[in-house]
Amino acid sequence: MHEYAFYLGCIAPNRYPGSESASYRTAEKLGIKLLDLKGASCCPAPGAFGSIDLNIWYAMAARNLVLAEQMKKDIALICNGCYKSIWEVNHKLKHNDELRDGVNEVLKGIDMEFKGTIDVFHLAELFYDPEICGVKKIRDSVTVPLTGTRIAVHYGCHLMKPKKERHFGTTEAPTWIEEMVAALGAEPVEYRNKMLCCGAGGGVRGYDIVHSLDITNEKMIALQEAKVDALTEVCPFCQLQFDRGQIEIQEKFGVTYNLPVLHYCELLGLAQGMSPQELALDLHGISCEPFLQKVL
Amino acid sequence: MARTKGYPAPLEEKLKDTRLYSDEENPQFTKTVEKISMTIPHMCYQCGTCTASCPSAPRSSYRIRKFVRRALLGLEMEALNDPDLWLCTTCYSCTDRCPRDIAPTDVIMAMRNLAFKRDIVPVNFLKTVTAIYSSGHGVPNNDVNRAAREKLGLPRDPPTTHGYPEFIKGIQYILDYYELKKNADRIIKEREG
Ligand code: SF4
Ligand code: SF4
Repeated sequence: MHEYAFYLGCIAPNRYPGSESASYRTAEKLGIKLLDLKGASCCPAPGAFGSIDLNIWYAMAARNLVLAEQMKKDIALICNGCYKSIWEVNHKLKHNDELRDGVNEVLKGIDMEFKGTIDVFHLAELFYDPEICGVKKIRDSVTVPLTGTRIAVHYGCHLMKPKKERHFGTTEAPTWIEEMVAALGAEPVEYRNKMLCCGAGGGVRGYDIVHSLDITNEKMIALQEAKVDALTEVCPFCQLQFDRGQIEIQEKFGVTYNLPVLHYCELLGLAQGMSPQELALDLHGISCEPFLQKVL
Repeated sequence: MARTKGYPAPLEEKLKDTRLYSDEENPQFTKTVEKISMTIPHMCYQCGTCTASCPSAPRSSYRIRKFVRRALLGLEMEALNDPDLWLCTTCYSCTDRCPRDIAPTDVIMAMRNLAFKRDIVPVNFLKTVTAIYSSGHGVPNNDVNRAAREKLGLPRDPPTTHGYPEFIKGIQYILDYYELKKNADRIIKEREG
């Protein structure tokens, strides 16, 4: 069993708890144990905090990192926004003494010190990594194959970009999550503008909701053209923007899509035999029923 | 303020660049942006790849190339007062494609930091701060979600600051260290009464 401190973030536990539940259970089946990271907070939101004062963003993220350092465990998380804060601040503080000293000056006041002793991973990259899990193991864990469904992937931005600071290779046309979708028995589908942002980031969702939804809608149009049964992603904030966003798009623009949006962990949960109730899919803004009817 | 080229005065006058420099230019701004952003907007050759990659460009007057130019020319107030500054989704598409290896996204973040120092900031950014100050979460739990968590066999509150509220004071210490809560409350009050 590989053990990680599970950094939850905000939107998964507080809006899509099925993703949290699915993460524990699917990971466990794949040899990954997720442990509570007690007292963790918001990562904090990289758009809001980073825009106001990067130094505060570093210090707040560092507090979460130190909690995991104290557990002597690497962090696993399930949100691209959290990845931006937690992975990137860890990386920056490890490689920039001036920043680290600045952060430790603040953390001293709460008896903490950033030491740089742990690493941070997205659960999706752990699932994909053959040394930890790998696509074959995912395929072998499937009991309810999602055969006959067409699924598109939204990669989101902050996991893989900026590419020269990350380690995921191309950010123009990646296919590694599609491989993990195919492992579930579904047909991964390409669509126009796959790498376009969901529209929510950088504080734009709060600053200008119509502008933000118009970006989402551009993706929705492309997804509709590709005739997919569901969209999957690895970021609860993207999920919120596509799922609840479709309702807002309906209200504000008068366009309806009803496209189910599932976090990859939820999809994996279904394929491993978890029920829609065990995944709290009823909390989604857009009903997953049409998709479920195809697979269950 | 135009930099001199060290030529004799008449030549200096004849050859001085009258287009590139403006009275409003603050060369220090370029340096400060480069320090905060840890990137190099002065290397920009205005190819426009960034704007062409930008999801916000086709639906607004926001032009990331223009902001990079403003960074290079030191056009501080023109940049900080432009409401388009807040339309970057921080998607990093421009950064991945810039042929000069600049991170335009981080130029925007640095400018936003400098704008905040002058109280130029949309209120929604501050509300995230106040939510985190009181609960540790930008998107806090609620009763519908607590009931759903219970049904899933999860604790009603996740094992974060929600489940362990004793950790909130550490967060408040950090935010108070930077006087962020105080400033956020003040600005929200000024805007909303
Ligand atoms: S892509 Fe780079 S070099 Fe080209 S205009 Fe934008 S910042 Fe300048
Ligand atoms: S990071 Fe900002 S400026 Fe760059 S392409 Fe994305 S939205 Fe546009």
